[in-house]
Amino acid sequence: MADWLREFPTLEVGELRALKKSFDAAYRGFSREYGEAIEAFFDPLLYLLIRFEQLLLATPWWLMIAVIAGLCYLASRSRWLTAGVVVTFFAIGWLGMWEDTMRTLAIILVSTLMAVAAGIPVGIAMSRSDRVQAVITPVLDVMQTMPIFVYLIPVVMLFGLGKIPGVIAVVIYAVPPVIRLTNLGIRLVDEEVLEAADAFGADARRRLLGVQLPLALPNIMAGVNQTIMMALSMVVISSMIGVKGLGQPVLRAVTNQYFALGLFNGAAVVALAIVFDRITQSCGRRLQANR
Amino acid sequence: MGAPAPERGPRTGQRNLPPPSLLRRGFPRRATAAVAAALRCGAWPGPAAATDSAETGASACGDVTIAEMNWASAAVAAHVTAIILHEGYGCTPDLVPGDTVPTVTSMTEKGEPDVAPEVWINAAREAVDKAVAEGRLKIAGEILSDGGVEGWWIPDYMVEEHPELTTLQAVRERPDLFPDKEEPGKGRFYGCPPGWACEHLNVNLFAAYGMEEAGFTLFNPGSSEGLKGAIARQFERRRPIFTYYWAPTAILGRYPLVRLGGMEHDPETWDCIADKDCADPRPNGWEPSVVLTVVTSRFAEESPEAFDFLSRLSWSNEVVNGFLAWQDERQATARETAEHFLGSREEIWGAWVPEEVAEKVKAGL
Repeated sequence: MADWLREFPTLEVGELRALKKSFDAAYRGFSREYGEAIEAFFDPLLYLLIRFEQLLLATPWWLMIAVIAGLCYLASRSRWLTAGVVVTFFAIGWLGMWEDTMRTLAIILVSTLMAVAAGIPVGIAMSRSDRVQAVITPVLDVMQTMPIFVYLIPVVMLFGLGKIPGVIAVVIYAVPPVIRLTNLGIRLVDEEVLEAADAFGADARRRLLGVQLPLALPNIMAGVNQTIMMALSMVVISSMIGVKGLGQPVLRAVTNQYFALGLFNGAAVVALAIVFDRITQSCGRRLQANR
Repeated sequence: MGAPAPERGPRTGQRNLPPPSLLRRGFPRRATAAVAAALRCGAWPGPAAATDSAETGASACGDVTIAEMNWASAAVAAHVTAIILHEGYGCTPDLVPGDTVPTVTSMTEKGEPDVAPEVWINAAREAVDKAVAEGRLKIAGEILSDGGVEGWWIPDYMVEEHPELTTLQAVRERPDLFPDKEEPGKGRFYGCPPGWACEHLNVNLFAAYGMEEAGFTLFNPGSSEGLKGAIARQFERRRPIFTYYWAPTAILGRYPLVRLGGMEHDPETWDCIADKDCADPRPNGWEPSVVLTVVTSRFAEESPEAFDFLSRLSWSNEVVNGFLAWQDERQATARETAEHFLGSREEIWGAWVPEEVAEKVKAGL
């Protein structure tokens, strides 16, 4: 039997290595060439992040809890939920995790904002053209399944360590749900409703903003909810590239088997997740009820 | 956190998962030797050369197991040792994966593996001292002639531009040269990854030298991979970086960092520096860590020639940084790196063995 039938024909070790090295060299060259420009492009985002974090850290804790409770009540109109959130934040502060929680809150909110700002337009574009959808869907698949560590170090080579690479890594991972669900939500709007809108003489813009988006809103909110959850699940990983917050104590706990430290900080992440989840979900439900 | 931890190297705080190769190599060695030999990628090519020992007049060397620790420099050391023992002394070496404490424990309790080429003694001082006193282990020599080095470093081009920046005291005056984008107006110092033993040392030294008052932030790099990436990036662009790091590492071979002076070791106050809750940290500095080659007493007695070689086996940080950088650039395996070292640095390893052994090793390469 011929060799190539018995054993899979592979590149030789040397050739494979040369191939990998040429990729690495190309990426390095790219980062040297355009690194400064790309970094400068993200400077406003860094400014926003720093300011937002400073704002959250400078706000007195009672005011912060009041604001969060207020938002929660406005979104959900549920007293029990609001009371639960207040108790949770008291517990976080009492266990000495207030500052880390605020830092994590800042980065998650900004990441979500970026993801929504980028995701909704992309979702709209996908909903309007099957061809765009055919192109973007596999890209989203890659973003959701590519192991995070694969792009973490290239991001560091480009941006260094800190908040910006952290936000970028989080957004890459967390943006797909909001895109997918925006697309889906708009596509699910009844054909007849659109015909009615056309009959009343709505132009494309009014049709989108006045009919499609409002009707798709519960789905979009579900997407935002998922995006926030995925962003929160990146807290620990983003702290591996120097993002301050609840992730770093978790890393410390993992390397040293400090069970309690890991549990407390992990629980704080869960608490944030539950707060975000309940607020966005009940917001989505209320939107649906008002339809 | 239990009893006050003795001074420990940076790696000892890191609990690496076993490398995937462990899964392939972890068979009970003798029982399933044939199966294992077929599966092991790091397997030694047969006992063919074992007959050499009679010709050299050396005592029988036979099977020898060598611990291949799970970090780069130790893996290369294990392969270099294995190649020389195989080609030069006719042993049949077998590499087994290891980590400092488990390997030393296993050597003491079970007499296996026979040789641990790179033991960072700070991480296993008590265990090794006890086993040596009981006659179970023997210290062959110091494999790292200048010891493991830790400290605070800046790139060589920073020193070229600002020749005064050779001491910590000089760098302390210039936070503006190491700007932290996230804290405008301040300088950034990259500390030790979270959870590593070096973390408290860096936090305490940062306080002891009043770095915060001087306008520096202690930036936590999050992971050693992140820190590596940050150093590589700053060097690629010739940008400043002021960081904690350690040798021997590929990073120091590839990117010439200069270790800052002005951090003298003071054993009196060091215990406090190593303590998480140190109330009054005083200026201090790292002492080079002693890195030893440790063997079982049985092996030392049965193979005096091989033991003699192991007692001479020694290289400097510069040499190790150099071949680790070679390995890193080529993404080579530890075995290839060991062969590269043996092929290119005969002036170093030639001094470890008698001439006729060196000839045989060269012929075998």
